[in-house]
Amino acid sequence: MATYAAPVQDLIDALGRLPGVGPKSAQRIAFYLLKVDDEEATKLARAITEAKARIGFCTVCFNLSEGEVCTICSDPERDQSVLCVVEEPRDVVAVERTREFKGRYHVLQGAIDHLQGVGPDQLRIKELLARVGAEQITEVIICTNPNLEGEATSLYLSRVLAVPGLSVTRIASGLPVGGDLEYADELTLGRALEGRRVVENG
Amino acid sequence: MHLQHVWLNDFRSYPSLDVELPAGLTALLGRNGQGKSNVLEAVAYLATLESFRGAPADALVRRGASSAVVRGQVLVDGREQLIEAEINPAGRNRVQVNRQRLQRTRDLVEALRVTVFAPDDLELLKGGPAVRRSYLDKALVLERPAVDSVRSDFEKALRQRNALLKQCKGRLDEAAGLTLDVWDLKLAQAGEELTRLRRDLADRLSPVTTRAYRDVAGETSEVRLVYVSEWHERGLAAALVDSRAADVRRGTTLVGPHRDDLLVLLNDMPSRTHASQGEQRSLALGLRLGVHRLVTSRMGVPPVLLLDDVFSELDPERSVALLAALPQGQTLLSSATELPPGAVADLTLDVTTGRLDPR
Ligand SMILES: [Zn+2]
Repeated sequence: MATYAAPVQDLIDALGRLPGVGPKSAQRIAFYLLKVDDEEATKLARAITEAKARIGFCTVCFNLSEGEVCTICSDPERDQSVLCVVEEPRDVVAVERTREFKGRYHVLQGAIDHLQGVGPDQLRIKELLARVGAEQITEVIICTNPNLEGEATSLYLSRVLAVPGLSVTRIASGLPVGGDLEYADELTLGRALEGRRVVENG
Repeated sequence: MHLQHVWLNDFRSYPSLDVELPAGLTALLGRNGQGKSNVLEAVAYLATLESFRGAPADALVRRGASSAVVRGQVLVDGREQLIEAEINPAGRNRVQVNRQRLQRTRDLVEALRVTVFAPDDLELLKGGPAVRRSYLDKALVLERPAVDSVRSDFEKALRQRNALLKQCKGRLDEAAGLTLDVWDLKLAQAGEELTRLRRDLADRLSPVTTRAYRDVAGETSEVRLVYVSEWHERGLAAALVDSRAADVRRGTTLVGPHRDDLLVLLNDMPSRTHASQGEQRSLALGLRLGVHRLVTSRMGVPPVLLLDDVFSELDPERSVALLAALPQGQTLLSSATELPPGAVADLTLDVTTGRLDPR
């Protein structure tokens, strides 16, 4: 059986490790990259290096950030008393698009999913509890995805956040069940934020 | 619901096949191993995206080919629907309805519904509880596709809870206990709902299965389906609490709908131990035809009935009775023997090694 030269195989392997890219797509992308202008390929390589070098996670909310603290966390205009808890940085973008939310965020960097080896300890939950203890936060809005893992994470948070003087709500109905926040349109997500409810503790 | 036209490419023994089917009864006749059942299997695949014989994808592709294609044109409520399924064992399977990519498998139910009876269905009586739970769950989806989300929520919650229990390695610390509480709640919600649906279905199936059984068996026995869940009195939430210590020790969930069973009673006696072989065969057929009737009355149109090698399962009297009592709608049957006397098919196809010849 014929094999690819080592650099080609390395490229295919690296691409194949990207989320959502199967072996066939990895091959297709590799061949595409080998065919395009040097300039095009270099641009992509540089974009990856640049992003990796300049972007990290905000040390306060764990959103993507260019500096140590992200622009939202360092914005004095934002309401310091309200936190919106989301799974991923892309969810921050989705909520920001609604222009309904004036508080700050906390990015869990995932949801409880034991099948993927992700329990509460693998998420930024300890950091969330520390923020709630140290900052002047009176309301936490849980904006995890409306699927089973997101619901379970929300339920877990509502239990560990059950402290006097703190209101914990969940964005409410209107979101497609089983979906991702990312795909909810702005109006729907905005309405869901408006209609948030106290999480049932079962 | 009329499956008008079927095309196969590299499916099982067929390099290619193009066959038009009448709205009534089609009989596929031929010796064993000639490919009769493959045609029924292909038709069922179009409706369910799986083999009713439990065959993996690569077994459905003709040897030497890399993929198989099954296409069917169905007339539903006066509209033609074209379903196209590509089976790719090495890559991704593709399904289109009217050239639109299918979003969810359960949406196929809108385009084509089938009821399958196959020799393996004796397992409904003789096999373990899992066979009967799956029978109920599939019937639920056929009747109301939206309830599939209840079953899938339950299964996801169960998998999550089991993964957590396994990771605990027999010891439950406080944090894991809190997470387990959460999954208990989710599991109890979905589990209670799933059980309510299954129990209700079993109740509704009892009379229609009795009628179908009587039609085939030609006698006046009573069939009763009883859904059995050991935890039901306590409620699932309480049962999970009771079972928690044992669950942690064993690293798995020991109580819930995934352990339930469906008792099939013939004249109030468990058919598994008390029914004869002949009675069990009629019962298996009755269970399938019972669902067929329920779905027909719910949807207003009968699913396409697929009877695979049905006469090998029934004695001559029962075979004649079955054909006489065949429900309205389209039926495809395969048989190694001629139709029983008195039966007339709208189309008879002689099957010889991958060829269908109309008589
Ligand atoms: Zn930040």
